[in-house]
Order: sequence, then C-alpha cells, then structure tokens
Amino acid sequence: MKRIAALCSSGILAVTVAWSSAAGQTTPVQGLHHHNPTLVALTNATLVTEPGQRIENATLVIEHGKIRSIERNNRAPAGARVIDASGYTLYPGFIDPYSNYGVEAAGRSANTGRSASPEYTNEREGGNASNMAIHSQKDWYSTFKADTDAAKAYVEHGFTTVQSARLDGIFQGRATTVSLADTLPNYAIYQARTRQFASFDKGSSTQQYPNSLMGSIALIRQTLADARWYGEAQGKTTGSGRVEFNAALAALQNLTEQGVIFHSNNEQDLLRAARVFAEFEIPITAVGSGFEYSRLDEIKASGTRLILPLDFPAAPDLSEQFAELDVSVADLRHWERAPANPAILAEAGIEFAFTLHGMSKRGDFWPNVRKAVAHGLSKDQALAALTTIPARFAGVAGESGRLAAGYNADFLVARGDLFSDGEIVSVWLQGEETKLKPMHPSNLSGTYSLVLDGAELTLELTDNTRIQGKLSVGDESVNLFNASKTDARVRFSADLTDLGMPGVFRFSLNQSAIGQLRGTVQDAMGRVHAINAQADSDSTEAASENGGDDASAVADFVGQLTFPNVGFGRTEAPSQQNLHIRNATVWTADDQGILENADIIVRSGLIHRVGQNLSTPRGYTVIDASGMHITPGIIDEHSHIAISAGVNEGTEAITSETRIGDVVNPDDIHIYRSLAGGTTVAHLLHGSANPIGGQGQTIKLRWGASAEDMKFTQTPPTIKMALGENVKQSNWGDLYRVRYPQTRMGVATIIQDAFQQAREYEQAKRDYENLSRADRRRTAPPRTDYRLEALVEILNNDRHTHVHSYVASEVLALMDVVERLGFRIHTFTHILEGYKVANEMREHGARASSFADWWAFKIEAFDAIPHNMCLMMEAGVLTSINSDSNDLQRRMNTEAAKSVRYCGMDEHDALKMITYYPAQQLEIDRYVGSITPGKHADLVFWNNHPLSAYAQVQQTWIEGRKYFDRADDLAKREALEQERQALIQKVLAAGSEAQRGNRSNYRQQQPTWHCEDNHDVWLDWFGEHHHDHHHGHEFGGAH
Amino acid sequence: MKKLACVIALSSASFFAQAHNVTPGSSPEQAVLLQGGTLYTVTQGTLQNTDILMLDGKIAEIGTGLAVPEGARVIDISGQHVYPGLIAMDTTLGLVEMSQIRATVDTNEVGLVTPEVMAHQAFNADSEIIPTVRYNGITHAQVVPQGPLVRGQSSLMQLDGWNWQDALEKGPVGMHLTWPRAGLNTAWWERRSPEAQRKANEEQLERLRDTFNTAKAYHQARLAGALNRVDQRWEAMRALFTGDLKLFIHADDRRQIVQALEFTREFGFDLVIVGGRDAWMEADALVEADVPVVFGAPYGLPSRVDDAYDMAFSTPAKLAEAGVDFAIAYPGFWDTRNLAFAAGHAVAFGLDYDAAITAITYAPAKILGVEEQLGSLQTGKQATLIVSKGDVLDHLGQSITYMFIDGREVNLSNRQRQLYEKYQERLNAD
Repeated sequence: MKRIAALCSSGILAVTVAWSSAAGQTTPVQGLHHHNPTLVALTNATLVTEPGQRIENATLVIEHGKIRSIERNNRAPAGARVIDASGYTLYPGFIDPYSNYGVEAAGRSANTGRSASPEYTNEREGGNASNMAIHSQKDWYSTFKADTDAAKAYVEHGFTTVQSARLDGIFQGRATTVSLADTLPNYAIYQARTRQFASFDKGSSTQQYPNSLMGSIALIRQTLADARWYGEAQGKTTGSGRVEFNAALAALQNLTEQGVIFHSNNEQDLLRAARVFAEFEIPITAVGSGFEYSRLDEIKASGTRLILPLDFPAAPDLSEQFAELDVSVADLRHWERAPANPAILAEAGIEFAFTLHGMSKRGDFWPNVRKAVAHGLSKDQALAALTTIPARFAGVAGESGRLAAGYNADFLVARGDLFSDGEIVSVWLQGEETKLKPMHPSNLSGTYSLVLDGAELTLELTDNTRIQGKLSVGDESVNLFNASKTDARVRFSADLTDLGMPGVFRFSLNQSAIGQLRGTVQDAMGRVHAINAQADSDSTEAASENGGDDASAVADFVGQLTFPNVGFGRTEAPSQQNLHIRNATVWTADDQGILENADIIVRSGLIHRVGQNLSTPRGYTVIDASGMHITPGIIDEHSHIAISAGVNEGTEAITSETRIGDVVNPDDIHIYRSLAGGTTVAHLLHGSANPIGGQGQTIKLRWGASAEDMKFTQTPPTIKMALGENVKQSNWGDLYRVRYPQTRMGVATIIQDAFQQAREYEQAKRDYENLSRADRRRTAPPRTDYRLEALVEILNNDRHTHVHSYVASEVLALMDVVERLGFRIHTFTHILEGYKVANEMREHGARASSFADWWAFKIEAFDAIPHNMCLMMEAGVLTSINSDSNDLQRRMNTEAAKSVRYCGMDEHDALKMITYYPAQQLEIDRYVGSITPGKHADLVFWNNHPLSAYAQVQQTWIEGRKYFDRADDLAKREALEQERQALIQKVLAAGSEAQRGNRSNYRQQQPTWHCEDNHDVWLDWFGEHHHDHHHGHEFGGAH
Repeated sequence: MKKLACVIALSSASFFAQAHNVTPGSSPEQAVLLQGGTLYTVTQGTLQNTDILMLDGKIAEIGTGLAVPEGARVIDISGQHVYPGLIAMDTTLGLVEMSQIRATVDTNEVGLVTPEVMAHQAFNADSEIIPTVRYNGITHAQVVPQGPLVRGQSSLMQLDGWNWQDALEKGPVGMHLTWPRAGLNTAWWERRSPEAQRKANEEQLERLRDTFNTAKAYHQARLAGALNRVDQRWEAMRALFTGDLKLFIHADDRRQIVQALEFTREFGFDLVIVGGRDAWMEADALVEADVPVVFGAPYGLPSRVDDAYDMAFSTPAKLAEAGVDFAIAYPGFWDTRNLAFAAGHAVAFGLDYDAAITAITYAPAKILGVEEQLGSLQTGKQATLIVSKGDVLDHLGQSITYMFIDGREVNLSNRQRQLYEKYQERLNAD
C-alpha cells in the first residue's frame, strides 16, 4: 500500500521567531506580546529514548521547550499541534562535550614568530596567574553568545547541545554547556559552569615558559600544588606578608568536583596527563586522538574516560611507483585500524563520547560513525557516545541526552536507521524545529503515462540531484528542459512538435501520492490542460527501510598490532628464561677479567654463576656460545632517545622542576636500534640550554614496554646542568641577549644564587615544621616549589648532577662554587677539556663522561682531544664514554675502542668505559655494569672481539629476556616487507575511498634530539621556518 | 727510526705555544726502502714480507729481499702493514675550521646555481684539522663545495702542502649537483601537503633542466661563435659538454637516482652518484649505465623508520654483490678521519675485506681519474702510502707509523697530539 504523502508537512512548522516565546522572563517586550503555541505532539513515531530503549508507535509531547510526556497510547493531547511521524524514529539530540561554540577565539599576539623577542613574564591583571598559558579563572559562560553559522555545522549532524570553552592554553577556564538554539544566552545556557578544560599546549601565550612538553607537565604540576597551597593558606599569614589574591588558583579549588577535560595529541600524552593529574587524585576525561587502541591496557588502567574525534585518516597516496618509500608501516597500519578504535575501546569497557572537534571535514562525521559501526561498534554504543555519555561529561545528564518527561525538547527526527543508512530530516532545539530535509520527500523517478489532447504520452523522469527526463509517443521522444523541482512539485518544458503537438509546452505537476503526478500544462497557445500522470507499477523507487541488525561487524586486518605499533614492534614481551650459556669468551667488566671458554648461569633474570664447565641446572635453556664474546649490556650516560616533544625546557635559566621521566617515549624506534648495537641502559638527559636544566631518567631498553615500565626505577635521581656556549646563548641569535646569564661569570653566579634560594627554602620549611600547633593554624605553610625541591635534593646528595661542560675555566668555576655551597658535582658530561683539569676533578671527587673523538664544531670544542679519556683515567678520574647521539648509541663499542687507538688504553678498561664505569656514574653498579653474580643478566653476544670494527651484535638480553636477536631481526624484515606490501595492496584496492579522511592524522616521528635543540614545540611558526634553519648538525650533532 | 719519530713529536710539543701546524715533509734526496712489510697492493693482492723501494717520488720497486741502493734510508717495517694512501671522497676538509663559526666556513656560495666556484681556491692547507685526519692514514681528500643545486667544482688535494697550489693533486675533478628532492619530506616540521610538495619537486626539476639547457645553448653558441660575452657560470659548465669534467650528482633517494640516470643519459655526461643511500635498489641500472657510486653513509641511521637497523652498514656489501663500482666516503671535515673505521664496519656487515680497502683507495682514485698515479701499490706509481702497525680498518689495529705522500715523509704530529703531550707532562709532574 502506497503511503499518501502529507502535503508539505514541514511547511506547517514555519519557523517561529526565535526566543519570542521566552523573551518575557526578564526582557521588557517592545511592541506586541507574542504567544505562539508550543504544545506539539509527534505521533506514531518510534522513540529511541536512550541507548537500548525503543518504544514503537509512541507519541512525543513537547511544550515550552521541554518534553512534557511520552504517550504509549499514541494519543495527542487536546490542542496540540499534531505531526504524523509514522515511519520515523526520534532520537535524543546529540551532545558534543568538547567545543568552542559561541566563545570568541583567542587573539594572536603580534609578538610571535621567529623575529619576536623573548618574553619571560606575564602581564599581571586582576589576580591572574603568573604564566600566560593559565586561564583557569575564566568562566566561558560569561562571554557566550549564540552563533547561527557555527550552530548550523553542529545541528545538521544531529547535535543540539555542546559543552564549550575557549580552547586555548594549559588551563583554559571553565566550560559552559549550552543549547545550539538561536536564542538568548540566558536561555541557551543549560549549565553555566561545567568542566575545567586543559591541554599541554600553551596556545596563544607568548611567554617563553614552557616551550616543551615536559615544561607543560611541570607547569601543571606546580599549578595544582599551588592551588592546594592557596586553599590551605586562606585566612592565614605567611612569613613574607599576606597571602596574595590569585583568581587562577582560586578557580582550581575542588577540581575533582569540577572535572577536567584534557585535550591530548596522542595516546602517550593522554597517559601523561592522566598521570600528572593522578598525583593530585584528580581524574580526567581526555579528548583522544584515535590512537588509543595501540595502548589499550594502559589507558584502561588509567581510568580515563574519553572524548573521541570521529576523524579517520586518509590513506597515503600510493598511486605513483615508489611512493611507499615515504610511508611507514605504522601509518598504513593506523589507516587500516583507526576506524576500529571506538569498537576496541567499547569492547574494553572504556567509556567514551564522540566529538566533532578536530574533524578535518565535518561531512565525514556520519560516514565515519557508520564506519565505526562497520568495524564492530554496536549501534547502542554509538548512540550512547552521542547522548547519555556526553550528557554526563557535559554536566547535563539530568536534562539532556534522553527522551524523557522533563528533559529538554532537544531531539532529532530520522528516517531509517541512522547508524546504517538512515538520514536526519529535522532537529528540534528547545521545542523548535530546524528542518534539514522534507519529512516526506518525493522521489519522482519513474515512467508515467499521461493523456494530453487525446494522445497517450509516456513521461520518463529521473530525479537525482537534478531532474531530467523525456516525453515520448511510440518511438518518437523529446527531451525535457528547464526542469526543476521544489518539494514534491516538478516543472519542466518540452517542445512537442516531434510528437505531433507543435510548440513548447510548460508543465507543472505535483506528487499527489506515490506514483501519481497531478497538475497542468500550458500549451503553445497559452491554454491550460489538466494532467493526471500515473506511474507504471514497480517503476518508482521504494523508500529504503533497511533497519539493519545490531550484530557487531568483525573487521579483518592485514596489518599487525605490535608494541609499540611500528615496524619491528613486538607482539608480546619476551619471556624471562633461565639460561646456561656455554663456552663463550666472557668480558666480565669486573675483577674476574676476560674469561675464555666460560659459562654463565642466568637465573630469574640475574647472573647466578660465572665459571668454566658449569653443569646445566634442570630445566635451563642451554645456549652454545662457542666463538662468541659476551659483554655486559652497554650503558650510555648521556642519551636523548625516547623523548617526546622537546629535549630542552630552554626558556628560563633554571628549570629543575622539569622531568624527562614525564616524557619518556616508548615508541621510539631508536630503542630497538640501540638494542641492536648492544645498549641496554640509557640515561635520558635534558638538553643543555640552561645552567640548571631538567631531571634525568634512566631507562632499560625494554622495547615494547610502556613508558613507565621502561624506567630503571632503582636509579637514584639525577639532573642535568650545563655550562658554556649553549647556556649563555652564544649561538641563539641576536634576540637572545637578555636572559641572565650571557657570560661564564654569570653562569657560575646564577647557579650559586639558585642553590642559595634552595637552602633558604629548605630552612623555611623546617621553620614551619617547628611551629607550635597554634602558630601553624595561623600560618600558611610554605608553598611547595618543585624547582627548589630538586635543588634541595642536590644539596643533600639525594640527586646527582650531570654537568654538560667543555672548557677548563668553567669546570673549575663550578667546582669552586659548589664546594663553597657544600656539595660536589657528581659527573661532568662531555667534559672535553677534562684532561686539562683532571687533577682538580679527582680532588673534587667528580666523575667524567666524554665523547670519544668529537671536536672542532665550535670554539669551546677546539681543544678537545681523543686522548682525553686516557689522561683522565690516568689522573684517577672515573671516566666513561657517552653517545649523546642516537646513531653512536648503536656502536659505543667502537667509540670506546678509539681510546685504544689513540692512547693505547687497556681493552678491558675501554670496555668498562661503556659498562661498569657509567653504571657507577649512575649509581646503579649494584645492579648492572658487569657480569657479576647477583647482577642483572643484561648481556650482549658478539661474533667478534667486542671492541673491533668487525664485531656484530648477535643477541641482546635484559634480565634474562632476549630483546634482540640478529636472526629474528632478519626474519622480521621479511615479515615486515610482506605486511607492508599487503597494506599497500589494500590501500590501492580501496581506490578513492582510501583517500577520504584526514591527511594529517598520523603520528609524527619525534625528531632526533640533540643537546642544544631548543625550540618552542607549541609555536606554529617554528614549523614554517624551521626548514631554513640548519638543523641537520652535519657532524652528527653539535653539543 | 721509531725513536726519531718520538724525538720529532717531543720537539713539536716543546714549541707548542707557537706551533699551530706541522711542517710539510720535504723530498728526500735518497731512496727510501721499507723492508719486510705486508703489502696491501689493492691491484695485485696482498704480499707478505715484502719490500718496497721509493725513489724520486715514485714506487721504484716491489719485491722480496730487494737490494739496498747506495745511501738509501732503510726502514724496517716487519710485522707492519702497508697500504696505498687513503683517499677521502666528498669532504669539506680545509673549507671548514669550526662549523659553528661562520667566519671559518667556506662551503656555500650564494645562489642556487654556482658552477663557477672551485673548492681548491678556498682550501686552507694550514687547517688545524688536516694533520688530525692524516694521522688516521688519509693522504688525499676530495674537497667539495656545498649548496642546494649546482654547487660548483671539486678538487683532489694532497694533505701535506704549503698552500693550496702546492696541495692541489688534481683540480677541478668534477662538477657537483645536489639533486632536487624527489620524494616527500616526512619530517615533523614539514607543513606543505604531499600535493604541494610534489609540485615543488617538479618545479625544482624543471628549473634544473632549464639551467642545463641554457648552459648547453651557451656552449653551442660559443662554439659557433655566435656569442661573444662571457658568463662565468655557463663557461664553467662547458667542460661538462666537452666531456672534460665528470658530473657528480648528490642523490640518496631511489627516485632521485632514477631521475639522475635519465637526465645524464639525455645530456651524455660522465656521471658519478654521490651519497647513494638507496643505490642498492637501483644497482642493476647503475651497472648497466656504468655509473660509479660514492657511498656516503657507511655509518649513520637508517633513513626510513622501517628500514633495517643496519641498512647503512650493509649497503656496501649489497653494492659489491651487485657489481656496482663504488667508493666509501665519510663526508665531513674533522670526522672524515673515521673513514677507515667506517670501511671496517662495512666488513662487519658483509663486505669483503679487500673490497673495503679498494673502496677507500683505488676506487676513489679511479672515479677521480688519478688511478694511474694513486690508489694502489704498483711500481711506477706515486710513492703515496701508509704504514700501520696493524689492520688499518680496525680501531684495535690502526696505528700509522709512517706516511709518505709523493715520496715525502709526512709528519704525523698534530694539534691534538701536542695537547696530549703537553698535559701528559702536567700529569707526570704531579
């Protein structure tokens, strides 16, 4: 039975004047008072009241912008305007929990870009924060206004409500949750003050600090601590006067109740954010990146809820030969798997909402929702991610996100199943309709018969984006022209001369029922004839009613999922084995010396025994290592691999609060490459851009582990300091001549001053502890200052200094300064002129870690000599070789061999320079650094004398787990190549569909960091200009 | 003789305060006979316990138990190894003293097209860097202008001269061209779309073609007497069209190499690929076109994230296996001294030992067109050789005891040795 179309149904709902019905509350009415009726009943509808709840043949009754009731008896209340919604499904309006709708974007300061002079302070006004990236005191409802154009881009996809704030800075202020209705803010605002938005990106701030990810994290940590202190200090006095007024800190009280929505750039940033907030027991909701599937367990364990941009990547363009040379397997894998991310998260029980934020093309939203469903997301989960879950995230769960009495009349009317092939025909905002498509559209395609002037004519119409057709009598036909269509009315002209009716006839026909066109035609004489055209049966297209089932699709992947999810990643962690290694040449790097034909027993990850002809304990794996040399795993005192988004917080002169441990990047391929060179431990250091830089982090190269699990937790805390050209900004350009220090004199002095402050800080804390209980009630506690905390640890020998240093004068000056402060420098790193002051270093008690042979790249390196290690060792200074290079870190054995070459160092000593001695410098020699019973079984198998140019690493073990095996590596290359080709074929086979999506939605490789690389990772301008800058350090890095 | 070397070293330490360099060697009046060494002749195999006689700057004789000529200086090198002097390709030696101090850098002339510049004119024979490079067995270096497109001309320098004219072994030896990028820049700071990048690459290629077409037209116009005005740039490029100068194209990416081969075929130049990171992928085409490669990344990280960790190390072995003529280079200035170790590292990853020695001696000589004089130990060739206590390719073996360039013994002292000795004195005094 064909349905009779309601005539122009939507026409009845002529848009009422916005906010007229509600203007009366506080706004004086000018002119006449409007009282449009608001009682509407949508009858015979299918109501999806919330995910999983479906009521057929029901009536939704709305009034005054609210849902009045849901009637199951399908009766409309008396006096209601009735809309027949038979065959339609009503869903709750969607809620986007992350938006900047109706809030003005941040202005761009003129003082940005490469030629801008550095700003070190924030302009203070109205009790704002000391850092320009902290806007926590802002309440974004206060400047909110409806924005019709911006609203349209949401509404057309079914959204009715958004949570909104200015997306700028680190703490961005409190968002507001508003309706997208075109109304006064007073009515649009559903919840005025909702979540605090935050990110790591300093945004429009032109203040130097922070210019690195670790700096942003440190700033968040300090700000949260300050907020806590501020709360405790209220009503008390401090030793330095009254407690300052600080609106930014005041706004961060009760952050747990407020809730934090944190924008992350990738899954590692998400975890980093979760960790720093967890230090203050504040849970976060994170805006995700689409990469969450790659670290699923960690994300689940962090308890973080997610807001997911529904943006999937476009495949790289591989249409040209060899184009794949520029494409990584990681990118191809992500292209394939990203659409399954929502399904994978849902399966893991991680709660998430969707957002339109960050989509390169919003038109992709629905295709992508369906893609997610096709990849296994259930339709209920998809709906929840658009309604009930974001309602909670946006603080409006009691009034939005469901169809229920008392809820806002925010809903959408859909034809068909939205999550397979349905479409939204209208969106209702606060009880008023925004029409997107005719509710009862006509598709006029078909072949019709009609009689004109006694002749039987056949009318063929095609009604796609454009209406076309022809009229025919028998075999004779003429094309229609000037054809157009409005709603269900079609107009066209045709020259019927060839059909035996001279002249151009003008038709105007209206669809009176499916398959029936009625109207008139005006002939060549201007006369009007009635027309009744009847379609041949079956020739019209039936409206698609494909509901689709809710069974989850299962996606089929040709790409692997590994840890990390890049080429050479692991599918699982290597197992710990008990080993009997037989018949090797063992370089113990301890007093046992070099043992020929020796055995090693490894038990539970530790060296158990070393000796000759040992018997195999039951159940142990035997490895015949005949012809092999075995050394301890190589330890690098100075490395910058596995670090995300900036190696330097090179802004302020003292940044001891920053922590490399906050930004360990477990995805870095250099971890694997270094394993292939026999390195098992790397001390990741902050760069050398400031006299006191950030805190170091020692890692074991447990390729595949999480950032946290890579940390060598037994290592005592360390910190980077630096002297010379880099810290005095000699090579930073003319703009950088304002920061203290600019000379080696100033370097020594600012270090002295910093430690003096730390002493006084420590004293102030002690004084507070010693106050009587009564005094303590009146006195504010000292504010925790992470910068000074680190320096106090140094003063107390709880944190060891690793000092980037080159020339004799600066080394002597620093030793002099710190001796007067009462502590000792632990290790000088690089220390190119160490040989000139080796005696003084020995007296001071300092250790040394140097380059093997680098020199001549700058004036302070012009007296560097490759005999430095020999001379320092001779003088009694504990000396190691470091790489400071992700390339050299792969062949530190031959770097050590250079001391054999240039100054005849004993070979076993040379080996100790990359094993036992750096272990001592990191104070981890109890655990690693030699093949000594009781120490970690961190072992390297070489096929030749380990210091020879001809040596090749065959295996690398960490704690009895095999992390590198040359034979496995060769097999992995094959497998990787096959996977790559399969993925390329999949992209090519997908044709143009593969090109839909976001082109820039791939993770970028972290660059190779060098000691002195210092740029603002948050500033766009850098990217635009950086390629002019000589970055390559043609000699492997300038240090 | 060993004692003598020590005395020289000590005396140079004592006048360190003034010394900034060591004096070039002088031509000996008499013959010099090295007795009983292991000779890596490169072209005629390895000769155990063999003598080598040098006279008038030439290798006069090679053999066992050679007669000692009247008045000859005899040096017992039994147990030691003799190699031809190592030739460092693609360096900026003598053009850079301290890379971060602009005033000491003479590598890049202004503009995209600077074929007229010749590296030897800026070569600082008194550079403090040079003696440290010799110390590791390098007797010759090709010095190459740097730049984004047509860089200029390189020359071959011997590393023990009073000034550049004295040091010039052969020059110019080649015109250098940096091939435009052919793939996408995937670095994080690249903000152009792939489409925009491809377009820019095309434009660069077009610009290059225009440049060469103009140069060719100039050459033909001059030949025909149709043009009387001199353009320094195009004048410099005429030697390419007459076949007197080789074209050295710096190209790493596979697509660059393919384009470079096509381009050169079209113009008929004598081509050398420099860099050649992906050369192994186009090995067959290189063999077929008889184009040698100066492989510039024997050390170094894989250039692509999915590359095998040892990509750079194992490429020389792949080139050798495919039959490509190649030299190994270690581009740079101070660090060029690691050339022999880099060749040794290639051996660790599959390159035949003799092929590794060839790649830093005879192969470069051939590419530079000086194989009649240099690159192997052969009677009649220049007496340019090094003596090492052990294997020159291995850190554990290399210890250069003697170096001769054109028959002149080279003083192996250098600034770093001098500083070492000076501070040894301080330590010993303590």
